[in-house]
Amino acid sequence: MLKPSIVTELSQIVGTRGMIMGQSQLQTYECDGLTAFRVPPQAVLLPETTDQVQRILRVCHRQQIPFVARGSGTGLSGGALPGEDSIVIGLSRMNRILNLDLPNQQITVQPGVINANVTAATAPHGYFYAPDPSSQTVCSIGGNIAENAGGAHCLKYGFTVTHILEMTVVLPNGDLVTLGSRTPDAPGYDLAGVFIGSEGTLGIATEMTIRIMRKPETVQVILAAFDTILAAAQSVSDVIAAGQLPAAMEIMDRLSIEAAELSVHPNYPACEALLLIELDGPEAEVNLQMEAVTKICKENGAWETRLAVDEHARLLVWKGRKAAFAAAGRLSPNYIVQDGVIPRTSLPSVLEKLNAMAAAENLRVTNVFHAGDGNLHPIILYDRDHPGEEERAIDLSLRILDVCVEAGGSITGEHGVGREKQCSMSYMYADPDLETMQRVRRAFDPLNIANPEKLFPTPRLCGERTRGAYAPHPLEASGIAEVF
Amino acid sequence: MVSSAVLSQYEIAEHLVSIAGANHVRTEADGTVSSVPASTEEVSGILAFCNENGLSVRPHGGGTKQRWGNRTTANVNVSLERLNRVVEHPWQDLTCTVEAGCNWAALQDRLGAHGQFVALDPLFAGRATVGGILATNDSGALRHRYGSLRDLAIGMTCVLADGTIARTGGKVVKNVAGYDLCKLFTGSMGTLAVITQANFRLHSLPQHERHFTVSAPEAKRLSALLAKIRGSHLLVSSLQLRGSREGFHLDVLLTAHPLAQQDSILNSMVREDGLTLLEGSREMWQAREALFLPGRTILRLGTLPAQVCDYADRLQMASPRVSISSVSQSLGLHTIAIQAEPRETIDVLKQLREHAALSRSTVAILEPGTLSANAFVMPEAQLPLMREIKRQFDPHNILNPGKMF
Repeated sequence: MLKPSIVTELSQIVGTRGMIMGQSQLQTYECDGLTAFRVPPQAVLLPETTDQVQRILRVCHRQQIPFVARGSGTGLSGGALPGEDSIVIGLSRMNRILNLDLPNQQITVQPGVINANVTAATAPHGYFYAPDPSSQTVCSIGGNIAENAGGAHCLKYGFTVTHILEMTVVLPNGDLVTLGSRTPDAPGYDLAGVFIGSEGTLGIATEMTIRIMRKPETVQVILAAFDTILAAAQSVSDVIAAGQLPAAMEIMDRLSIEAAELSVHPNYPACEALLLIELDGPEAEVNLQMEAVTKICKENGAWETRLAVDEHARLLVWKGRKAAFAAAGRLSPNYIVQDGVIPRTSLPSVLEKLNAMAAAENLRVTNVFHAGDGNLHPIILYDRDHPGEEERAIDLSLRILDVCVEAGGSITGEHGVGREKQCSMSYMYADPDLETMQRVRRAFDPLNIANPEKLFPTPRLCGERTRGAYAPHPLEASGIAEVF
Repeated sequence: MVSSAVLSQYEIAEHLVSIAGANHVRTEADGTVSSVPASTEEVSGILAFCNENGLSVRPHGGGTKQRWGNRTTANVNVSLERLNRVVEHPWQDLTCTVEAGCNWAALQDRLGAHGQFVALDPLFAGRATVGGILATNDSGALRHRYGSLRDLAIGMTCVLADGTIARTGGKVVKNVAGYDLCKLFTGSMGTLAVITQANFRLHSLPQHERHFTVSAPEAKRLSALLAKIRGSHLLVSSLQLRGSREGFHLDVLLTAHPLAQQDSILNSMVREDGLTLLEGSREMWQAREALFLPGRTILRLGTLPAQVCDYADRLQMASPRVSISSVSQSLGLHTIAIQAEPRETIDVLKQLREHAALSRSTVAILEPGTLSANAFVMPEAQLPLMREIKRQFDPHNILNPGKMF
């Protein structure tokens, strides 16, 4: 519990409007997009300035109060899940666009600015902000930085880290520091590069200058319908082998197509696998590439190809794809979205394993892939009301990650490790690798108060096994402690 | 713990022989010991020994950029030249794994067999190694399109000062599991770890290349054109401004399909500004390398992209007694060569750094030439954190001590 004197001190920093203590209101903040994990925080603070964030963190540092920064709370790995004795610092009120610098193709914003609003602010001038997570209409830039968010178009344009130039960061001790630079290759270590994707464990970014890009002259999307996912996947490999770099390549399977259809009616062809390829660039170039890509799809057995050229048709195609996660709710009362990455060429063997594993558990798994970069989003469908099903679903989702690691891939391509996958970290990295990361953490946060018990495996949460989040800890089994 | 005992050159060599073998350890006339380990494990053994005995270490690749940054001395040289294999090139995944001592041009040759490359044009590609290029974060004009090494390196194996072998990142392009230490090690000048292996994301080699150049007596005559190209839909892979007392040249590499007729679009943009577009050649992209002549002081400057031309002109006005040549990337990264009397060179550096403090630009010293000044000036507020990072990775300060701070 927070001491009354601390509560008073914190409320003096943000004012009563900026502090949430009521139990029912705190429930809003008890989880992020990973709803299987819930912990109500001690308090929620909603600062409006960098100075307020600094003063809050000084109090946290002095009193050793753990804090969790939160953007829009859309994260899918529990990165914004509060710890049981932590406060939440919500950045959603810091939502102003501070400066648009067109000659330098940069924009400076606060962390609470919504991802899509950056593009909206620059679009009238012919620019856009490239990283486009599916949640881009609600997720915040601050959260994108914490997770190093990706999206369908990062195949060509890179991730959040590619686009963030400079950040004002409040360190866990309350000190203010500028990381990165608006000019290239500033002397010193690339601390911005390490900070981005650190999931709130190294401090809080309160202002960021980001790179915007010129909108391409032409954008075209082709939808190709296949009888098997493997045929769609082979087309992806062939496109890459032909030297093409599309803006995006996505595969959806039958279940996810059906769900998207029920949800936002994108009018997709009914098929086993839908491949969606977006090309952008100079018009003549795109026309030529589209010809080649269409030919590759047909050679691999695509029985229908549809070209979406105008803005309206394109947006509808993408609306269906980006609604795929939420649409899973139409198929099942509960679901888990996973985020494994594999080398593109191992897609057939991994899919085969994955299907066998799902069948063995008698669980339905639907698949959406960022196929161009091998990022799989298996969606495990289950019903929490069926006893034991949630545990089996979680267990299956983590075993899918093991398969990805065994194939030479990663446990997360864009959703982050958070609470959900921290025990899988030791499957992907050996102890010396993790200990090396901890050196960075200790340099930024020696007291370990910035989003503690996330990202790294801990004995408390991962039990005595080095992985497998849900093996009951001996203390838990004996009723002495609880795992949340 | 650092041993207080001071080992003799002979004792150091004797121990290193037990790790790397007699043929791969040499005592040098200047009192240092050179070692050429054959594996990450041997590098680890050498570093652990040096760490325990308080011996400073200089990681060594092709030796093309050893003078970059602050001067440093070392008891032990660790050459990566035997770690020179391309470990794998799964070309369908557009990635590769390569040992740090591999020569850059040799790597590109291997990748080129499948029409792919690491989309970077570093200095001295014929001699420089993967590890050295990573440690110095070198990049050329291709950066305009493909980004820097921090966008291309997706995984690394490194040896920390205490001998810990750590892997970071992975073999897939998309990977956000844990901190991305590749970013930290890239450009750390060998002060945090010795890179022994790296994974890169690859790109397909462009199929259509056209080289063009536009000349003007002053850079400001090219300023509007540069801005127009940056804001255009032209498929530009490289874009650089060459400057000297003789004049300025804006070089453009177009890679669109000929049917897109981008050369004629570029031509009309150039003519609108009353300038002339000329066919260029591949050689003009070697201009940055040509700056590195013996005796010159070479600086790396960072400015905002929109300041590139203004800055290039400013350099020529620095002093009538100083000869300055510059090659500027479109994003605001300038490599400049100064040829002058030592006192004049110091004056130019002082001038540039004073201007940098006011304009958010940065000035780093690559080749000091006759200069002896701090190579890297960092903002005061960042220094404690950078020093703490160094302390966490290398508490006894054995890796290239003094190179960075």
